[in-house]
Amino acid sequence: MSSQAEQTKGGYEQYAPVFAELAALDPDDPARSELRDKLVTGHLPVAKHIARRFANRGENQEDLAQVATLGLINAVDRFDPERGVDFLSFAVPTIMGEVRRHFRDTSWAVRVPRRLKEMHLSISAAVGELSQRMGRAPTPSEIATHLGVSREEVFEGLEATNAYRSASLDDMLLGENDGVSLGDALGEEDEGMADVERRESLQPLLERLPERERTIVVLRFFGNMTQTQIADRVGISQMHVSRLLSRTLAKLRDALDEE
Amino acid sequence: MTVSPSEPAMAEPTFAPAPIEVRVSANAAHLSVVRAVAADLAMREDFDLDSIADLKLAVDEACSTLIGVATRGAALSCRFSPSAGRVVVDVSVLADEPHEPKQDTFGWRVLSTLADEVTASTTPADSGKHLVRIELSKASGTVVGA
Repeated sequence: MSSQAEQTKGGYEQYAPVFAELAALDPDDPARSELRDKLVTGHLPVAKHIARRFANRGENQEDLAQVATLGLINAVDRFDPERGVDFLSFAVPTIMGEVRRHFRDTSWAVRVPRRLKEMHLSISAAVGELSQRMGRAPTPSEIATHLGVSREEVFEGLEATNAYRSASLDDMLLGENDGVSLGDALGEEDEGMADVERRESLQPLLERLPERERTIVVLRFFGNMTQTQIADRVGISQMHVSRLLSRTLAKLRDALDEE
Repeated sequence: MTVSPSEPAMAEPTFAPAPIEVRVSANAAHLSVVRAVAADLAMREDFDLDSIADLKLAVDEACSTLIGVATRGAALSCRFSPSAGRVVVDVSVLADEPHEPKQDTFGWRVLSTLADEVTASTTPADSGKHLVRIELSKASGTVVGA
């Protein structure tokens, strides 16, 4: 970027007096908009250049160019030549910030439609209620009947649940301590564990896990409990148990591979 | 990546629904797609939520195991056959060595806990390679109305 920025910088010095002129104008002066247009148009290649740098990230190039142009307009409007910084040093980070924000805001996790978010909430409540009543996890058709909606709507809501993968929430809850030691969780000498131990040193890896993750893994794979039973015992939702299990298994796989 | 109903071989009986095959390059980055397909099929077979989550984890584990032994640049094939409240998953990949997944490992413990049945095999393939395969089968833990 530096060499190209240097190059472009050279070509844009001609606009410095225009910024000074714009800054000197009264906020209501009709000449402002003409100067502003001139500055935006003149710097468009900078916006296009930045948009191209974010190409191949699965976002439409024209959309990116528009977002970058929006960033450029903001930069022109907010630039203060009195500060002694040249426009490009101010504009490039402003435009890049705008493009980055676009990527962040359009990631699917935050653009789940309101209707699906509401369905997700209804489903979570239904799952809790039905599990409590039946002593096991419900099926999509049981959830649909309970909520009086179609199975397709439940499918959509369950899929949207995947977008709620919230690392921060998981980390927050992991800080708590619910006091099930490896020995407690295993109860009697576990034959399966002994089998595994002959080949792999799993126990030290389990000991290194945060307590809740360890408890969940041990109860599921050596205690023969379902996710719903574990959720009930540990005091979190089944969906949360599911997320934690998935994450912990990946962690254990990596650690075992390294051995 | 391709997701497509597999072409049935000529001799196969026509009443069995064609399996759904997902082919991705053997790379952990693509596993979210495979997991999503597994979850969707289990949902449509009306698995209870525990069984849906278990199938997803089992598929993740089986695919990760095979990615670990795959020949560089190989494709991971995942064939799903859902029917009558059960999903059968057949995952295979080409490997340089006949790395049959070992049964006294934590990974196998995970697979056999999550799935009702799991088998692994290795067969010789073209140009000195080996086809390593894990086949697993899972039914919903709950049969509604039974």
